Amino acid sequence: MTQIVVLPVLLPLLGAGLCLVFGRSARAQRLISVVVLTTVVVTATTLLVRADRYGPQSVQIGGWGPDIGISLIADRLSALMLLVSTFVTLCVLLYSFGQGIVEYGRETPLSVFHPTFLVLSAGVSNAFLSADLFNLFVGFEVLLAASFVLITLGGTEARIRAGTIYVIVSLVSSAVFLVAISCVYAATGTVNFAELAGRIAELPPGVAQMLQLLLLTTFCIKAAVFPLSAWLPDSYPTAPAPVTAVFAGLLTKVGIYAIVRTQTLLFPGDGLRSLLLWASILTMVIGILGAVAQSDIKRILSFTLVSHIGYMLFGIAFASQLGLSGAIFYIAHHITVQTVLFLVAGLIEYRSGTTNLSRLGGLARSAPVLSVVFFIPAMNLAGIPPFSGFLGKVALGQAGIADGDWLAITTVAASILTSLLTLYAIAKVWNRAFWQPAPDADQEHDDEDDWSHGPLHGGGAVANSGGTLMTTMWQKVATKQRLPLAMGLPTALLVIFSVGLTVLAGPLFGITDRAAAELLERTPYITAVLGGSP
Amino acid sequence: MITIVTLHFLAAAIAPALVRRLERRTFLVLALVPLGSFLWLLGQAEAAFDGDVRTERVQWIPTIDLQIDLALTPLNAVMALVVTGVGALVLFYCRWYFREGDREMWRFSSVLTAFAGSMLGLVVSDNLYVLFVFWELTTVLSFLLIGHNPERKANRRAAMNALIVTTFGGLVMLLGLFVLGHEAGTARISEILASPPQGTATTIAVLLILVGAISKSALVPFHFWLPGAMAAPTPVSAYLHAAAMVKAGVFLVALLAPAFSDIPGWRPLLLGTGIVTMVIGGLRALRQHDIKLLLAYGTVSQLGFLIAVVGAGTQAAMFAGLALVLGHALFKSTLFLVVGVIDRSTGTRDLRELTGLHRKLPVVFVATLLAAASMAGLPPLLGFTAKEAALAAFLDLDADAGLGVWGTVALVGLVLGSTLTVAYTARFVWGAFGVRSVTPPTVTPQRLGFVVAPALLAGLSLVGGFAGGFLTPRLMAYAGDAPAGAHEPLLTLWHGVTPALGLSVLAVTAGLLLWVARRAVASAQRRFVESMHVPDAELVYHGIIRGVDRTSIEVTGRTQRGSLPVYVGITLLVLVTIPGIALVRTWDGVRLRGPDNLLQVAIVVVVVLAAILTVRSRRRLRAVLLLGVTGYGTALLFVAHGAPDLALTQVLVETFSVVTFVLVMRRLPPFFSDRPFTSARRIRVAVGCLVGLAVGGYALMAANARTARPVGLDFAEPAYDYGGGNNIVNVTLVDIRVWDTFGEIAVLVVAATGVASLIFLLTDRATSHREARRDRASSDAGWLRGAGLIADRRRSVVFEIVARIVFPVLMTFSIYLTFAGHNLPGGGFAGGLIAGLALMVRYLAGGRAELDSAAPVDAGVVLGSGLVIAALSGVVPALLGYNAFQSGIFDVPTGLFGYEVHLVTSLFFDLGVYLVVVGLSLDVLRSLGGGIDKQGEETGDVETATGEVSIA
Repeated sequence: MTQIVVLPVLLPLLGAGLCLVFGRSARAQRLISVVVLTTVVVTATTLLVRADRYGPQSVQIGGWGPDIGISLIADRLSALMLLVSTFVTLCVLLYSFGQGIVEYGRETPLSVFHPTFLVLSAGVSNAFLSADLFNLFVGFEVLLAASFVLITLGGTEARIRAGTIYVIVSLVSSAVFLVAISCVYAATGTVNFAELAGRIAELPPGVAQMLQLLLLTTFCIKAAVFPLSAWLPDSYPTAPAPVTAVFAGLLTKVGIYAIVRTQTLLFPGDGLRSLLLWASILTMVIGILGAVAQSDIKRILSFTLVSHIGYMLFGIAFASQLGLSGAIFYIAHHITVQTVLFLVAGLIEYRSGTTNLSRLGGLARSAPVLSVVFFIPAMNLAGIPPFSGFLGKVALGQAGIADGDWLAITTVAASILTSLLTLYAIAKVWNRAFWQPAPDADQEHDDEDDWSHGPLHGGGAVANSGGTLMTTMWQKVATKQRLPLAMGLPTALLVIFSVGLTVLAGPLFGITDRAAAELLERTPYITAVLGGSP
Repeated sequence: MITIVTLHFLAAAIAPALVRRLERRTFLVLALVPLGSFLWLLGQAEAAFDGDVRTERVQWIPTIDLQIDLALTPLNAVMALVVTGVGALVLFYCRWYFREGDREMWRFSSVLTAFAGSMLGLVVSDNLYVLFVFWELTTVLSFLLIGHNPERKANRRAAMNALIVTTFGGLVMLLGLFVLGHEAGTARISEILASPPQGTATTIAVLLILVGAISKSALVPFHFWLPGAMAAPTPVSAYLHAAAMVKAGVFLVALLAPAFSDIPGWRPLLLGTGIVTMVIGGLRALRQHDIKLLLAYGTVSQLGFLIAVVGAGTQAAMFAGLALVLGHALFKSTLFLVVGVIDRSTGTRDLRELTGLHRKLPVVFVATLLAAASMAGLPPLLGFTAKEAALAAFLDLDADAGLGVWGTVALVGLVLGSTLTVAYTARFVWGAFGVRSVTPPTVTPQRLGFVVAPALLAGLSLVGGFAGGFLTPRLMAYAGDAPAGAHEPLLTLWHGVTPALGLSVLAVTAGLLLWVARRAVASAQRRFVESMHVPDAELVYHGIIRGVDRTSIEVTGRTQRGSLPVYVGITLLVLVTIPGIALVRTWDGVRLRGPDNLLQVAIVVVVVLAAILTVRSRRRLRAVLLLGVTGYGTALLFVAHGAPDLALTQVLVETFSVVTFVLVMRRLPPFFSDRPFTSARRIRVAVGCLVGLAVGGYALMAANARTARPVGLDFAEPAYDYGGGNNIVNVTLVDIRVWDTFGEIAVLVVAATGVASLIFLLTDRATSHREARRDRASSDAGWLRGAGLIADRRRSVVFEIVARIVFPVLMTFSIYLTFAGHNLPGGGFAGGLIAGLALMVRYLAGGRAELDSAAPVDAGVVLGSGLVIAALSGVVPALLGYNAFQSGIFDVPTGLFGYEVHLVTSLFFDLGVYLVVVGLSLDVLRSLGGGIDKQGEETGDVETATGEVSIA
């Protein structure tokens, strides 16, 4: 039964292969993707239940011993991350059907979106499940490669430009990661997490700290922690809505997950407490100031994405059970709510042809359902009770106060300030896009790149005029259309899921609490890897 | 209690649906919920007043002490009755207030009902965090209600101000709640009040909580949001901004007063802000012409009064405070509802336009008189008895709380405030119903139902005045917990001739005089305001908001440069500095080992030189070729270390990359375009050197620290025993670390399809090889048939012949390598690359049509089937009950010469790898080669085409 641990990676890759083989049939591709991701969600649920009940579920790939082979492991933390991320991925996939992100126009990129999306999912799952530092790197590479393709989907100039920033920063981060892995291997002679846990403890403290900081630097780039965060708001907003949504939900969280995993398992204790707290404060405050300064919904959301990573760091810094529990809860919350908000931004864009606040207006009256679907997750993001964002903050705040010194309290205060500024940024969106009367309807849509889905646009300079013409036509059709149910339903599903995180916060906090205890205890994980091979 | 709170939210949820069927009558249905709650609470309240506190608990999140604890204490009961009673009447009133077919009614009805539920939850909660949940809910819902008519900018702005100001207070309060909860060790309010924690932390916590109360109850300096909130429909003003939400702050103070009123700072803060607010609110009320705004400032003033009295924290004051809360809720909601009726009847709220309404709206007039009398503190109304009690309490402030002269100051402030209250009350009555020499507004007759609610509430103010005997013990059930003071508090119309009565008379007389002299007062006020330059809190607030906006733009401008080199530079600097700290701190005793032989030295020198030349070169092609040198050098290094297999792979990869680069380069200008300024260049060189040094240092230090034996050394034996292969590298790739390889081939697949998707956005890949088949018929046969498509002057017969001959050889060799790989150098990856090179030769010799004829398949299918085969080789063992990707070793007799084939099932995985690499090669050649050819043919000359993406 523990063999199912491989499924969240294996199945999407199998599906990706099949999607390529059946590249000509949009129907077959959809069917494959949905079946695969649904199965993975079921698997993840099973894993979470089993991990919570029987302890970490581990598997040795190929039956090799943990000393030389690769282990995969699903403890509570991994399984929870896996469940939330795959569920969100599934919803985004369904949404993408409705948006027609790939189907519109010629069939060429059709064969690209589905397999790439599945590979992305496999990479994320692999990162969550891997018990091997090098394999974690592979997981990152898989998701990055897929994300490179997805972020440049359609190949418009703006996307290529944004994609370039993203690709190069990601490659630099991969190089840094490789440096870190090499150093770890050089010092300890292994890359297996469980073995590392023991061997790093035997290293001279200075060397151990150097390794810790190297890994931390790597993951902070992925997680977009200030000052390593500037790439994110410059690259995410230009991609198509479902792509941005899934990136926002998952990719930085993989980085945070890696921080949680390595910092608790390999470097127990709160040795980097001050550093992490400062990073947390700066990330939160500078990130949210960025959101306040923007006037485009997608960009605002990209900055809140950066900013709220600070909350998670804050919980990690204390290395206390409550702090970790709050951080894990916050990750689950933030994956859901950021994704859903980007999907809503996509709906707004679909309806109005733009996400620029100066060109939006009157949506509360003209699109009442949309306004509800925006308002609930938006308030959730701003940490308004009783939603999950608030609950996570309560846990973090309590952890901070329990810790008690001035830096901890400053961080709590900064988190509260961030909460207020998030509310301010979000309320501005509400005021301008939903309440303020729409600017004149015939006002010209200044056609940049932001309404282009793959096939519509020609590659770069070659046939821009044709692409633009088609885009404008498409825009006119789109703005008059009612939102397709196929886009609305997955969004609504995620809104319900996010509210579910609130209603079921009790049991969920139970799991995160036990997950945090397991992380601090370390032995369940180590035993599961080293002694748990079947 | 949980049931009635939930019922409110359920009603809110179905309200939009009800509006569709019932239109305005929805409100009558919705009103049943708070009405029912009111009646139920009435039944429960007696027990609460007798000291039998009903509690309920619903488990929610024990981890963070967030349990839904509700309690019906005497204080809670009074508040809950006010909230539900007024709530029911206001909803009832909405039925007539709204016009037929209001398009926003669905949202309004829902939000207002949800608000009623939140408010009820707030006043019965017995857990700090639950209280906060409802507290913030009321804030957000009030935001929606204030912005009910969002077309006007002022309304949107007012909603935003209210939201930000009260949330600011709320969040400060949350910080206080964290500390209080931590100090007390529990979040349960009743437990905290029973044994309140002591100490500085607690003091700070409570003061932070009071900030929340002050902002919510619109005290100075947060008072400005409340008049702005009058943008809301009048029922909202009556409910939220008179009876319910703004009382939340008062409620919180009343809740905490028994336990914390003696902590340092409590009384100065509350008495100070309370009385200042009372006076400022009263003064500003005197200057209003809009009767609703007049009431709003009156409310600000009254809230200051309430907070000051409740916050005084003596038994008599707490008693009086609760009585005032009750009295205020009744008269202020009456007056707001009256304003709504006047507004609806005449279409104006400006007192300069109203005249003679008392004849046209007699019922409303009477209700107004009663409520106004209660507000002014005239007998025989509840407002009078309550104010008497408050004055009595403040007379004993010194005796009860030891405030000394400050008690007297507070008393004077209170009397001053009361005077102003009388004056603005008079202004209100005169304004709404007085007779002026203006054209009387046309009065639309109103249905009786519209005035029921205000009339009923006004009646209660009157009844309350006579009900002192009934109310006293019930209010004492709350205040009685505080230590007894100098006198036993009592609500009654006649105490005898007391100092309090004297002060009342004084306030009423002075207030009326102020009203009589209103012109003189108004001009004095104007002069005073003009001469004093009093900082206006609202201007300060907007200044802060502007400051935040400006800061945000400046900070973002600095951090978000939009420049890739800056981002990469920062990343690298962090890599140097952060782990560098640990490096510098412990850099000690690092042993260095010299080179093993001169070959290593030579290779390293070449590689380093090539690297330096690469970054210096201005020609793209040169840079790429030099980059290739570093790659081949690395391969040589592998050879020098005795790893021919790695070297082979490295050479193949390097070759393939260089050719790919060259293919791409055709579409790029020959020179790197933007050369950075020299200063920027120097910085880059410096950063580069620093990174090199730092990474070198990390590597040295890490390698020096090694004590354990590296796991790689243990690969050899199990690779043969368990993996069934002599070639350790290959066994590692396809078996020991198959999971890594599996991931990496997924990367290849994605990279290949991604590149193709970008290139073939215009050039249609799907049909290209079919085209080739069509074209074949028309092209003349030669050594390479597809080559007929390219221009003769670019063909090379020799190359074509070589290609023709070499291709099958290379393909065979590639297959051999794949099969032999498990024991000899080779493997699927190397084999695939060889096949890729073979295809490349065909392409280079014969162009894209030739490539299509060499491999008449869709690259996607090849890639996909490779991935599928690899995945299946993992799934099948798992299905058979082994570990995923576990290999089986079989010796299969072939029947030929008695040979046995040594078959290891990981070969299937290797086949998958082979296919993926072949597919990758095909895709890259098709897109970067053929695709770019085609674009070149379409746009003119390949060499001069521009399509460069410059990255600056």
